Order: sequence, then structure tokens, then C-alpha cells
Amino acid sequence: MSGPTVELTPDTPSSPPPAQPAAQPRPSVARRIMQHQLFWPVVALIALIILCGIKNPTFLTIELRDGNLFGQLVDIARMSATPLLLALGMALVIATGGIDLSVGAVMAISLAVSLTYLDGAANPGSVSTAAVAVLLGVAVALAAGLFNGFMVSVLGVQPFIATMILMVAGRGVAMLITQGQITTVTSAPFKFLGSGFVFGIPTPVIIALIMLVAVAILVRRTALGMLLESIGINREASRLAGVQSRNITWLVYIVCALLAGLAGIVYGAPTMAADANNIGLMKEMDAIMCVVLGGTALSGGKFYLSGTVVGALILSTIERAVVIFHIPSQITPLFKALVIIVVCVAQSPKLRELLRDGAAKLRPRALPEVAS
Amino acid sequence: MTTTVQSQAPTPAPVRSRLSGLRRYLSPEYLPIAGTILTLILMLVIGEVRYGGERGFVSPKLFSNLLQDNAYLLVLAVGMTFVIITGGIDLSVGAVVALVGLVIATLLPMGVPLPLVLIIGVLIGTTFGFLIGVLVEYFDIQPFIASLAAMFLARGLCNVVSVQSLAIKDEGFGALAGWSLKFGEGRDIWKINLSMIIAVLVLIVAYVILHHTRFGRTVYGVGVGDGGNAVQLMGLKAGRTRLWVYVISGTCAGVAGILFAFYTKSGFNLTGIGMELDAIAAVVIGGTLLAGGGGFVLGTGVGVLVYGLIQVLIAREGLDSWWTKVFIGVVLLVFVVLQRAIAVRRRS
Repeated sequence: MSGPTVELTPDTPSSPPPAQPAAQPRPSVARRIMQHQLFWPVVALIALIILCGIKNPTFLTIELRDGNLFGQLVDIARMSATPLLLALGMALVIATGGIDLSVGAVMAISLAVSLTYLDGAANPGSVSTAAVAVLLGVAVALAAGLFNGFMVSVLGVQPFIATMILMVAGRGVAMLITQGQITTVTSAPFKFLGSGFVFGIPTPVIIALIMLVAVAILVRRTALGMLLESIGINREASRLAGVQSRNITWLVYIVCALLAGLAGIVYGAPTMAADANNIGLMKEMDAIMCVVLGGTALSGGKFYLSGTVVGALILSTIERAVVIFHIPSQITPLFKALVIIVVCVAQSPKLRELLRDGAAKLRPRALPEVAS
Repeated sequence: MTTTVQSQAPTPAPVRSRLSGLRRYLSPEYLPIAGTILTLILMLVIGEVRYGGERGFVSPKLFSNLLQDNAYLLVLAVGMTFVIITGGIDLSVGAVVALVGLVIATLLPMGVPLPLVLIIGVLIGTTFGFLIGVLVEYFDIQPFIASLAAMFLARGLCNVVSVQSLAIKDEGFGALAGWSLKFGEGRDIWKINLSMIIAVLVLIVAYVILHHTRFGRTVYGVGVGDGGNAVQLMGLKAGRTRLWVYVISGTCAGVAGILFAFYTKSGFNLTGIGMELDAIAAVVIGGTLLAGGGGFVLGTGVGVLVYGLIQVLIAREGLDSWWTKVFIGVVLLVFVVLQRAIAVRRRS
């Protein structure tokens, strides 16, 4: 994909976007907050929550029942777990300038493998069987990630198309595993992953948080995150600078698929039904939406894990807001679509340029400067 | 001055003519399409050997059925070819097909005249294409995400129109859908219907535009990797072209929506999920480079035939329909790897 040109100034998430020239004086604190990449997503999230709170005052209450947290906000956190798991991996992939469209299909494959194993196991209720089922599901996801990574990093196929192959074929593979049936089993330990509580907090939230911390440590406490961004900015230059771009690219697709497999298990655990046709359908779109809402540009070279978390929360808050405002549920996708379009346009550098310089700038891409 | 230019001008001609002939068709840019045609022939041979019997597998009836079942896909894939040659992508087409079908199914019972309904159907596609084009060109949003947003929008609008399957019972519409020219007799009867004619017309018009107009050359120029700067410097309108390809793709999606409604005689909000991937697969199988800058719209036609044949062969083998997805994936994989191999060889 020939996207817009990537800005060649890698900056840390805390610094303001490189919109203004360096010659300008340092902006005021208010301006710096305004220009922080998390500003608009957080404003949107808070506005959504306040609106819901005004409409339905019980929305904001969180109560403790039998030592477990309940309430609308807890539900939103629980619903955010799956998109967050997907979006974490997606953010890393997008940082390298790639995309992973196969996450929905990988969810379906992992869940299908796990539940098919449980279905055939002698004692599906035991903890060890459930653990093996989870491991098998994650192992299959690992294989999917190896495949995607191989296609992208070794063969050099465009990420979009490489992962689309698994997106199309993966659902077929999941159908083959479940023999076209909807496999249903009962296993208390497995179900716990989706609908249980640990220290009063829903298990999916705990799993998502653990993965968030793990990924954050992996990429932000080591140089890996910076290397990812350098690959996203210029793969060839980073390779020449000694970055093992092939291995690192391969790694992010593996991480993304692993998280997708886990997301599939967490997503399917409450119902324990492996519906290969519908599990994870269009979830890749949700994941991309979370990442984009969080301020990560799809052109690569930068990523914001904190923004991704906010993006996942916005996504599930929107879904919940539709219910609270008694909007017919058919309208949810339309609402989501309008939000995505508005956010994309708002994030586009062209619009910022336009707002700064007035309407004269809204022209087709300017000519490159010709050296005379 | 002028005379020297004129006297020098004919010299490139012999070089061209030397290149033409067989060698020209062995150059790397023709390799993907050679692979496509080879695959098509291979599949036809397999089909003939396995299911030929006394009546034969390869027949006018086979191609008639293929084209009839995939007329909408051909139109979609032709539009997609324009977009992919510029290095973009249009993911909204499947959702637009569903929306057009639903709008037709809603407007006809309300007494809106048929020609007006059909025009509205096409214009819906054009509008979505225009929206994507504006997002891509004027707001620098990646084609992938812009068309994704348009896809969400179209699906959202579908849900607002109806969540139920609506049958199209209009007589005029039924007459248009059912009209056909019949050839042959008995069990070998084959026909040409309106959808096939429209699809082939779209293909021919696309061929002329892409290979014989200034606009067509600009489309190729935009896709070569520098964001169209080179063609812009040559005085061609790169920016406007980038907008127009999405309008073309959207319009094709609108036409395909009508053809799909002809085919199913109904509108449903869940039709066309994954249809954009089928269209992309047909384009890639047809030898168009996903990186942009190269491809043949006629190859897309062959790609659609290959895609249709895969489905036919799987149905004849008695395999479950989900095998189709696996097979399309494998074929796509092979073609993409082939494209890569050629690209790497060309660079070295």
C-alpha cells in the first residue's frame, strides 16, 4: 500500500506530535495537553461515559456483590478484553507498517481446536484438561503467526494480502476442525476464563491486563518497541543500521496471532460453543478501530499502547451507549461507522493543516519540490 | 530544431518492433497472466478428465454458467482492478452490493419507476466511491482504512433499511432478470442473459479506458510507487485520477449490486460479506500486482473464470462448501508468492 509519507521524526509517546516547526517557541502546557495524542480519545471516552451517566444514573455505580464487582462500567471493561487483546498485537503489527487481517479467523481456529479437544477428552471438567485445551488453542495460533510472519518477513508479501489469505482460508480450516458443526461442551475451568472472577475482577479483564503489562514491558522496557517503529519508518534503513528487521517482523506477527488465539478462547469461553462461521467475524475491524482510535497511524512507525487501551474502552462504551440510549440495535454499526470516519478525518494531518492555515490548503497532494 | 526532432523520432520504433513478437510476451510483466491462463487450462483439463464423460465438461454451457453465476463478481473485480493498479484497495464493495440490493427491494414496492430505481442503485455505489476517494485524496487517509469506514457505513445503512431478507417481486425487474438468448437444444442448451452482457460490456469499456486513454496511463503512473509524483510532474492529473478510480470502483459496485439482485431476486443485509475478498482474489489471480503499477483488466476476466471454476470443481467433487474458502486461500497464496518471486527476480 502506498500510504501517506511517514514522518521521519520518531518521537516518544509523551512528546507532542511533530506538527509544528522546531523554530517555534515551546507551546504552553494547555496547548501541549491539547496536542497530546491521547487528548481527543480520552475526551471522547469521558464524554461518552458522562452522556451515558446523565441518561442513566445507575450507569456510573459499581457495586460489590458476593465479593465480585458488578455494574455497567465493569461490563464495559469485560467487553473490552477481547478487542484489547486483539488490538495489542495489532498495534505492534501496525507499528512495523503492516496489518493483520487474520485475527478474527485465528480466534475461530483456536477456539475450534480447544473445544474440539475438550469435546473428545475423557474428563473435560478437570483443570489439567482445560489447561491442555488452552495450550493447544494457543499452539495453533502460534502456527498461524509463524505462517503470517513467514509470508511477510521472509517472502516479502504485502502484509495486507498475506494475512488476508489466512483470513479467507482460516475460517475454512476452522470449519474443517469442527466438521461444520457448532461444537458445544461443558467444562467449568474453561468457562472460568470467560465468565469467572479473580479478586472480584472479571477474569477476561485480568487476562487482558496481564497481557497489556507483558507487552508493555516487552516493547517499552527494552529497545524492541523502538526497533519496531524504526522498521515501520524505513525497513531498509533500519536493516542497514543493524536492526534484525526480518526476525523482529516475524516476531510481531507471532505475538499478534498468539494474542488473537487467546482472545478467541476468552471470547468463546462463556458460551463454550465453537461456531466456526461467526466467532471473531469482523473482529479484525474492531481491533483496527481500537488501534486507530488510540492515535496510532495505520502508516506505521509509531504506536501507542495506552491509546489502544482507550480505543478498546471507547469501542465497548459505544456498544453499551447504544443500548442505554434505546437506539435500535440495528443502528449500532452505522453509529460506529460515523465515529470511525469522524476520528479518521480528525486525525488526518491534512485537516490539522487546514485548520491551521485556512481553506486555501485543501488541494490535492502538493507537488514535490524539484531541485533546479 | 524541429526537423532534427522529427528525424530522430522514428528511431525508437524498430526497437519496439523487435521487442514485439514472442519475446515481448515472455517479459516478466506477462508472467503472472501466463500463470493465470495456465491455471485455467489446467483446471479445464482436470475437469474434462474427471467429469467429462460422454457429454464433455468443457462446453459453451460451462462458460455460460460460469459467467452467469459470476457476472456481478466480474463487474466488482473490474472496478477493483483500477483501484489496485493505483496501489490502493476498496474494501467497501461487498457492503455496497448488499445496500444496493436492499434499496432496490425497498423502493420497487413503493411504486418508484424501475429505471429510476436502477439509476439510484448505481448512484449509491458512485457516492460511496466518491466518499472513499475524497477521504483518500483530500484527507490523506489510507485507502484501506477509508474504504473500511465506507464498508462500515454501508453495512450500517443496510441494517437501517432492513434486517430481513426482502424478496423482489416487481414484474419489470423479473422480466429484465429473466431475459435471455438461448442457444443449442436439449440438455446442452446455453444462454446469454442481460447480466452477462452488462458484465462483458463493463470489461470491454474498462479495457479501452485502461489501455487506450490518457486517464488509463495515469492510473498506471499513480501506482508505480512514488505516490504518483512522477506522472504529476509529467503534467498528468495524479490527484484527480486517484479520486476517480474509487468513483469507478464504487460505480462498478453499484452495477454489481443490481446484477446480484438480478441473480438472487432479493435484498438482504448480510449478502456480500467477504465478497470484497473474492473480488481482490480474482484481481490477484488475474495477474494484477497488488503493489500497484501493473496489471491487465482482461486478466481479471480470466481470474474470475478461475475463481468460478474452483467453485464448480469443488461442487462436482462433492466437497463441503467450506473447502472453497481453503482452496481460494491456497490459490491466492500461490499467485501472491509467484508475484513476489517475479518481483524479486526483476530487481536482481
